[in-house]
Amino acid sequence: MLVCAITLTPALSAQVPYDRLLRADREPANWLTYSGDYRSHRFSRLDQLTPENVARLRPVWVHQTDNSKVETTPIVVDGLMYVTEPPSTVTALDARTGRPLWSWSPTMPKDVLYLGFPPTNRGVAVLDSMVFVGTLDAHLVALDARSGALRWDIVVADNSVGYAMTLAPLAIDGKVIVGVSGAEAGIRGFIDAYDVESGERLWRFWTVPAAGEPGSDTWGGDSWQTGGGSTWLTGSYDPDLGLIYWGIGNPAPDWNGDSRPGDNLYTCSLVALHEATGELAWYFQFTPHDTHDWDANQIPVLVDAEIAGRTRRLVVMANRNAFYYVLDRTTGEYLRARQYAKQTWAERLDARGRPIVLPKTEPSEEGTLVWPSLQGATNWFSPSYSPSTGLFYVAVREMGAVYYKSETAYRPGAFFLGGGEQALSGDHASGAVRALRSTSGELVWEFPLHSPPWAGVLATAGGLVFGGSEEGNFFALDAVSGQALWQFQTGGPVRANPISYALDGVQHVAIAAGRGLFVFALP
Amino acid sequence: MSRTFLACLSVLLVAVPSRAQETEDKDPIAALGPADLEHGKLLFRAHCARCHGYEGQGGEGPSLARPNLRNAPDGPALFGVIQNGIPTRGMPGAWQIGDREIWQVAGYVRSLGRSTVVPSGDAERGRAVYERAGCAACHTVRGAGGALGPELSAVGASRGAGYLRESIVDPGAALPPALWPEAPGFSDYLPVRVVTRAGREMLGMRVNEDAFTLQFRDAAGGFHSFDKRDLKTLEKQTRMSLMPSYANALSASELDDLVAYLASLRGRE
Repeated sequence: MLVCAITLTPALSAQVPYDRLLRADREPANWLTYSGDYRSHRFSRLDQLTPENVARLRPVWVHQTDNSKVETTPIVVDGLMYVTEPPSTVTALDARTGRPLWSWSPTMPKDVLYLGFPPTNRGVAVLDSMVFVGTLDAHLVALDARSGALRWDIVVADNSVGYAMTLAPLAIDGKVIVGVSGAEAGIRGFIDAYDVESGERLWRFWTVPAAGEPGSDTWGGDSWQTGGGSTWLTGSYDPDLGLIYWGIGNPAPDWNGDSRPGDNLYTCSLVALHEATGELAWYFQFTPHDTHDWDANQIPVLVDAEIAGRTRRLVVMANRNAFYYVLDRTTGEYLRARQYAKQTWAERLDARGRPIVLPKTEPSEEGTLVWPSLQGATNWFSPSYSPSTGLFYVAVREMGAVYYKSETAYRPGAFFLGGGEQALSGDHASGAVRALRSTSGELVWEFPLHSPPWAGVLATAGGLVFGGSEEGNFFALDAVSGQALWQFQTGGPVRANPISYALDGVQHVAIAAGRGLFVFALP
Repeated sequence: MSRTFLACLSVLLVAVPSRAQETEDKDPIAALGPADLEHGKLLFRAHCARCHGYEGQGGEGPSLARPNLRNAPDGPALFGVIQNGIPTRGMPGAWQIGDREIWQVAGYVRSLGRSTVVPSGDAERGRAVYERAGCAACHTVRGAGGALGPELSAVGASRGAGYLRESIVDPGAALPPALWPEAPGFSDYLPVRVVTRAGREMLGMRVNEDAFTLQFRDAAGGFHSFDKRDLKTLEKQTRMSLMPSYANALSASELDDLVAYLASLRGRE
């Protein structure tokens, strides 16, 4: 080990101790964690690109994969870029030229199950000299960051009953945190923490309580056993409070709630867990007894801001159910919320943030028209918070759907849905990038998109907001006004989040689009 | 998804069937009971009826009330079509339902084939109506005609009789779906009125569009590529068509005959 450390040149040693992750915002030339920093701002402090010069932005290189369902967010460390390619391949690229350095793929069964989502991967985590990836067949793998050699490979859950992993893990001090997919197959969800050296599991938080545990009275009968509550998107971390924030997905079966009477905690909720033990500090449920598949697997953004004359530690989230929420992240106290997209299911939220649901908005045998559709007013793709403008930028889907309800029975490893959905797509739907006042959700500006997006946004200190579209546009907007300043036609749908990094002082912006990874910079 | 299909085949069939062996092997559709078909009907209504009609009579998608379906000559092929869709023809795959449910839907679809819906008019007389009405000015059939509107050589294989009728009497209600793979649900041939910043006004059809650009064909068939920043006005005329309605130009029997003629245009069968 010591000999290896001496012979490595500093330019190629990808050492990322926890300290660098803690202070990720101090090195904007790198992109060290999925959401840029633990607060999940997805904000770049690079300011070379501005509204005045961004019209000259042009591609510098493209990396192509064999697969069109690329949803990765790259990580950049000291000139190395780590991307994932579907289904669960990790590739290290030279961030300057795009040339591959190494690639690792798991050996997975040919009949690996992925029920209700594409066979894709959203990115890696890095810590010390390791890269962590979750595989589609629910393994957590640690690779050597320099060579791609396998360090350890552990089974997180049983794919044959529907557990899978597509999310980017979250690496904190000595541990890596992951969640699982699979609520469409009636799995029972959880969040796990693993020791980074050994891969030993340190703790598990079940998102659906077992009989007798707190919250179990919100599940009728034995429905908790197949209750869903997936944890399929990377959360956030407040090291001062020692709390991990993670979104929880829908209850199972998705569209038929008859077998699971009750609020179904902690599905469609945000939970705050003590990072040392995984114990629940607090929860907030956005959509009790959900029957529209409105997972709360969106990015929890940690913001410190003034409300009513007092600086508060907040967590803000644009939820799939079309409401934007402002909570106190210390206690989970509901502060306020505001509708940010069309919704026809709730009259309003009460004083504690619980929705007052309108009658006849549940799925039915003959079909019930509701906004938003099951994909929601927003989804997993990242929003961005700019401390310069105080605005929360979010890509919005404006689409309604007809929801159907039918009978269903649980079978391991099979769909457990209880209905279906027909979306009113095409010219009946649209999209937008919206800028909301972060402390209130009030709309400040919007940029219309031709169709509901699957792409996240990135705000920069230079005053730009980057976003993507299903029609292949990658574009830059003015962060203050929302005016479009630049766009590039990538030729494939953008279903990923942008990042920014710098080499020799030159700012680069990267985005996965179609089956490629595109990188742009000024000439 | 094809992996799942193959796994299902290997479980449900004794061996990979040749045509001669098929009757000997277990047919999953034959093994379905009344409860399965009932469930299949409910699933059909939730997932398929929007395009294939509430009773399978067709609409935006073809009628399934026929004994032979071109893309599904046998059970496994029908299973595959339901599971994977036909992306090049705009049919999505049924991702939301599992294998057992797909067989239930397949069984229900087969049951529709035992009641065959036939358009009531006469296709030969309909061909004469097509010529008299001047449809060939805008439409191509088997290589002959204009190119402003959709080609109709195989329209009878893709669309049900009710949809064909509607497209003649109320074309704006029946714009065909665009077949770009990433553009589910967008209408092709959408009428659009643009006014450029230079003041030029044009009426035509959208060919494609994104947040920044519009690809446009004018009423004479000329092609234009617009940056939306160069347009003062972009008016999408939803529920309208550049094709006029023929509701008043045709008698009821002429309409029946024309629908029968279009339904007979099934491309290469």
